[in-house]
Amino acid sequence: MKVRFLTIAGIAIAVGISGGSLLAQESAAVAISVKSHQFEPAEPHAPANKPLAIRVKNFDSAPMEFESKSLRVEKVISAGGEGVVNVRALAPGRYEFFDDFHQQTRGFLVVQ
Amino acid sequence: MSKPNMRGAIFSSNSVPPISTLRRERRFYFLLCFTATTVLSFGTAHAQDESAFHELETKYIFGNFTVGSSPGIEGEKAFETENEANFGKRSGRYGAGITELELEYTPTQYMQVEFGPTLSYYNIQGVPGLADGNFGGANGFEADLRSLLIDRGPSPFAVTFSIEPEFHSLDETTGAQVWNAGLETKIEADAELIKNRVFLAFNLLYEPEGTNPVSGSWDTESTLGVSSALAFQIIPNVVVGADLWYLRHWDGLGFNTLTGDAVYLGPTLFWQIAPKVLLSAAFETQIAGHEFGPTPLALDLTDFSRQRARLLLEFEF
Repeated sequence: MKVRFLTIAGIAIAVGISGGSLLAQESAAVAISVKSHQFEPAEPHAPANKPLAIRVKNFDSAPMEFESKSLRVEKVISAGGEGVVNVRALAPGRYEFFDDFHQQTRGFLVVQ
Repeated sequence: MSKPNMRGAIFSSNSVPPISTLRRERRFYFLLCFTATTVLSFGTAHAQDESAFHELETKYIFGNFTVGSSPGIEGEKAFETENEANFGKRSGRYGAGITELELEYTPTQYMQVEFGPTLSYYNIQGVPGLADGNFGGANGFEADLRSLLIDRGPSPFAVTFSIEPEFHSLDETTGAQVWNAGLETKIEADAELIKNRVFLAFNLLYEPEGTNPVSGSWDTESTLGVSSALAFQIIPNVVVGADLWYLRHWDGLGFNTLTGDAVYLGPTLFWQIAPKVLLSAAFETQIAGHEFGPTPLALDLTDFSRQRARLLLEFEF
C-alpha cells in the first residue's frame, strides 16, 4: 500500500513538473493590445492543442495586469509596455481574460 | 491526535440529545441546506445579468473542508490565514482551534505549494478524559503540495492531487505536549454544472497520522473520508452552497480497528471581497455517526467534534 501511495504521489508530482516543461514546445503566437481600457481584439483566436505565447501590449498610460482564471496566468504590464504570457496547450473553448486592475476590461480567447 | 480516555466511557450525557432529537436535527440540517441553496440559486438565476458573472477559481468556493480542483494562477503569491475550530464533545464544554499562517505560491499552471506555521488554542471544561484548560501556543508546521491530474476541457471534471505533511507539538484534541506527524492526502475533483454559476465537487481523503506523547510510544491512526459539495454563485463574486462529508476513523495506519464514523453537513460561503482578497467559510454539524467500542454510541464524539468550522482569508500580493 505504501509503495502504491508513493507511486501515485510521484506520478502526480511528475505531472505537475512536466506540465511546466510542456510549455517549452513550439508555441503559436497570439497578439493582444490594450487601449483606453479595451482589449483589441476582444476575442482573439488561437489553435487548439498547441502551447500559446500571448503577447500583450499596453498602450494606456496606466499599468495593467493581464489575468485569466481559466488560462491560469497573470502578468503585470507597465504603462506603454508589453509582455508575453505562455499558456499550455488548450482544448477548444472560450477562455475569459481581463485586466485585474480595471475589472471591466475583459475579452475571450477563442480556441478552435 | 492521541486517544483521550473517552471511548466507551459512561457519560452523564448532557450535551448530546437523544436519538429522536438527532433525527429531527438531521432532517432540519438537510432541509436547511437544500432549501437555502435551491432558493438562493434558482431565485437569483433569472434575476441577474449573466454577463456580470465571471469565471472563478474553484479551490475555495466550496467552503474549504471540500476543496476545489483549481491549482492556482502561474506566478501568483498569496498570504492566507486558515482557521479551523472544533466544538463539542459528549459532555462538558469543548472548543479547540488551529490557525495556519500560510504562504501560497503557484510555480506552474499545474502545481501549487503552501507552507507555514500553525497556532493552536483550547478551551476545555468538564469533558471526561480531557484535562481542563484554557490555553494556546505555537504548534508546528504544515505544507501542501497540489498537482493537477486532469484538466477541464474535453473532461467535464478537473482533478487535483494534494499531499499535506503536518508536524505538531500539541495534540489536536487535548492540547497535550506530543510529537505528532500526519500526511493528509486528497483527491479534489470538481465540475462546472452551469457556466460560471453552479459547481459540484467531490473529495476523497486519506490521512495517516502518528502521535508520540513526550514520554511514550507511537500511537497511529488513520482517517478516510469522502465529500460532496454544491456551490452557486448567487451574485457576482459571492458563492453559497452546502457541504456533506462522511468520515471513518481507525486505530492503526492501515485501517486496523474501526473506532467510529461521522457525517457532517453544513452551509458554505465564498466571497471575493476585492480583486486580491477573498474569504471562504464553512460551518458543519455532525448529524449522524457511530462510536464503536464496549458501549456503542450515537455520533462519534471521541474522534470528531459535534461542530466544526473553517474561515480562510487570502491576500494576494
